[in-house]
Amino acid sequence: MLRYLSLRVASSLFALLIISMIVFSLSQLSGSPVDALLPDDATHEQIENFVREWGLDQPLWKQYLTFLGNAVQGDFGVSLKWPGENAMGFVMDRMSATLKLGGLSILITVLVAMPLGIASAVYKGSMIDKTTQGFALLGQSMPNFWLGIVLIWVFSVWLGWLPTSGMGSIAHLVLPAVAIAWFQISALARLTRSSMLEVLDAEYIKLARVKGASEWAVVFKHALRNAAVVPLTYFGILAASILTGSVVIESVYSYPGMGWVAIEAIRGRDFPVVQAVIIAYAVIYMLSNLFVDLLYVVVNPRIRHG
Amino acid sequence: MTYTFNTFIRRTSRAVTVASLAGTILGSAMTGAAQAQETVVVAVSPLGADSNLYWTTTGAFILPSLQTLVGQDPETGKYDNSQLAESWEHNEDFTSWTFRLHPEARFNDDWGPVTSADVVHSFNLHIGDDAKLSGISNFREIEVTAVDEHTVRFDMPSPEPNFLFSHAGRGSLAIYSKAQFDAEGIEGYETAPAGSGPFKYVGRETGQSITFSTIADHWSGVAPEFDAIEFRWVSEPSTRLAMLSAGEAHAVTLPRDLQDDAVEAGQTVLVSSEGAMQTTMLFTGQFLNPEAEENRDARTYAWADKRIREAMNRALDRDAILEALYGEGVRKLPVYTMDPRFPGYSEELEARFEEAYGYDPERVAELLEEAGYPDNFENPKIPLVVTSLAGNPEFAQMAELVQAYFDVAGIQTEMREQDWATGNTAIRGFSADFVTPMRNAPVRPSALGVQIFFTSEASPHLDVGDPELNRLGAALVAETDPQKRDATLEHMFTRIFDSYAHLPMATVPASVVVNSDLVEGWTFPGSTSSGLSHFELIDLK
Repeated sequence: MLRYLSLRVASSLFALLIISMIVFSLSQLSGSPVDALLPDDATHEQIENFVREWGLDQPLWKQYLTFLGNAVQGDFGVSLKWPGENAMGFVMDRMSATLKLGGLSILITVLVAMPLGIASAVYKGSMIDKTTQGFALLGQSMPNFWLGIVLIWVFSVWLGWLPTSGMGSIAHLVLPAVAIAWFQISALARLTRSSMLEVLDAEYIKLARVKGASEWAVVFKHALRNAAVVPLTYFGILAASILTGSVVIESVYSYPGMGWVAIEAIRGRDFPVVQAVIIAYAVIYMLSNLFVDLLYVVVNPRIRHG
Repeated sequence: MTYTFNTFIRRTSRAVTVASLAGTILGSAMTGAAQAQETVVVAVSPLGADSNLYWTTTGAFILPSLQTLVGQDPETGKYDNSQLAESWEHNEDFTSWTFRLHPEARFNDDWGPVTSADVVHSFNLHIGDDAKLSGISNFREIEVTAVDEHTVRFDMPSPEPNFLFSHAGRGSLAIYSKAQFDAEGIEGYETAPAGSGPFKYVGRETGQSITFSTIADHWSGVAPEFDAIEFRWVSEPSTRLAMLSAGEAHAVTLPRDLQDDAVEAGQTVLVSSEGAMQTTMLFTGQFLNPEAEENRDARTYAWADKRIREAMNRALDRDAILEALYGEGVRKLPVYTMDPRFPGYSEELEARFEEAYGYDPERVAELLEEAGYPDNFENPKIPLVVTSLAGNPEFAQMAELVQAYFDVAGIQTEMREQDWATGNTAIRGFSADFVTPMRNAPVRPSALGVQIFFTSEASPHLDVGDPELNRLGAALVAETDPQKRDATLEHMFTRIFDSYAHLPMATVPASVVVNSDLVEGWTFPGSTSSGLSHFELIDLK
């Protein structure tokens, strides 16, 4: 178990190292910060000072090692778009907003997807099943930025029920949370359905029925307990997807969380913040995957002893 | 029982009366409160840099609580004394400018009168190492002196006939309170900078908004008809349109295609009284330089041949392109950086434009044949840059439309998608081999613009390589006689015009879409980098 855990942590750290290389390379490829951060009429002296100050005159490998050394200490420099803000500190400040939005999205996803998936499996081939399948197809086909804008027009502009954008009350969270959750509801509902169908066909379920167990007990006591393993292991990926999936939606709703930071920093060529936010997202993904792997170990002893 | 019933009736009646009265009073109070808290909401794209320290930004948005020395008339765009300077004068050769401050000007929050010490203090902040303002490089060579409490003098090493532009149009110097700095340090500015304008800084929600309240009895006599103004940073244009339609915003900036949707929905587009931006497509490289260095050599590009440049200009139906791109208020531009508001403007070039640059497919065919295009060229394929820039969402469409006309004319092109910074890197590195859209915003005085975009004097990387233009540019820098400057400028514009040194497009006003139910009008000259200003003139319904 310990060996397995060590291997997983080591592979996560290795992946993080690769990601840091990619982040650094992409920053280099997307034009010089000189042109993004200095005015059009900057003098040669200004440009030279800037290049020297930012170490852009150093060889690339040296720039990367400096970047890596600082990154390990959480130091990505100072934000250029939000002068005076520490890049990683700024990203971390925004994390609570994203966690709030992501938390609500996960709640909506679970509360809607699980019952839909179960009902769809139990009433396979019925109208409920067909509706759920249609809903899932629709959810997975619609780009979430498009859905986000449609929701704004329906619920904010036409009905006037909810604010169009921004952050503040719980009302500001509803539309972006639904826009993020929609895709995940479809995915989780389908997963739950297929998992339930597999279990409902098992011998021990038939035996339970033969023994006279009520349908309620068969579905929720015997079947769901076993079928839930698959959606449960998907939960870690779901959480990470929702958090990172907020990138587009936060931008559409001007909701200043981590996703919004990512987009605005890229637009403003705020390299320190771009690097910080990507690394932060990478860590979230790694931790989620690690969590899922550990969950597998818990539910599947063969891995533990393998 | 009767007594009890009557008492009940009486008490109930009294309670209803009191409740009605309370409701009326409360209702009136709430209405009053609502009126007292009327906040105008303006939703715009997020800023390139978001800070209360103006000099650490590139200068796109000057906080409306802060003031510059020189103001601008909202209708004519002419410099006026509506900001901190009551009057100004310069010496004969434009190397010394003296400003007299309004004696009654005061900072809000009781930080005292605005004095020349505040100007000197602000100047020193603005030329510090952390300054990123456009146009600030010139300020670094200037010496500023507080002559007396309300008089300040700027001495510069070379003539600066356009110095007022630095204060009004470009807004390179916002005046902060020295007293506040002495008491609170830079943190005071970061938290709530005191300004002297008719708005008072209230606070900001990082990334979301910044709010200002209006000042009653402002020293200048300016009195906005609302109580607060909030700027919201919203990056998605569709969301801004939704905010306008939902009544959450009074005014929003929108790209032109969404403006049409807004108008169809009954909203109103307001344009600035003056041109806010000039657009062009620039040939890059020193194509006019007969002795260009190897690494800067654009002689092999097709556009190095004047006939090709003329053909490219005549292949464009500008009327159709500009209508599709910009709509109302746009004007064709004979020479990029030439403007009727500034010296050097040539009516003759304006008059000759149609004849020399007009859409003429037959002439295009003749010119291409004369030049032996495409067989005569190593690089007959002309890369057109597709890019976007905040405030210029039309650039990508412009490239597409231009390509379409070139295709029809038989001029080979390829689209090159690249972001603005990547293009600038290539231009600064003298490796640019493409035709790229460019903007001049706010519209610079001609003498500044023509040197930046066509000579080696201000931005060597944009130099078209014409020895004559460079000679004239150098002469312009040293010349102080207004008539001779005017003649030199006109000569430069004529030279650019006759050599077809670029693909001039348009002078475009700034525009804002307002909610027709909430806003009656708003006059602004479009002279700042963001295009919007004079927020105190927002006229509510």
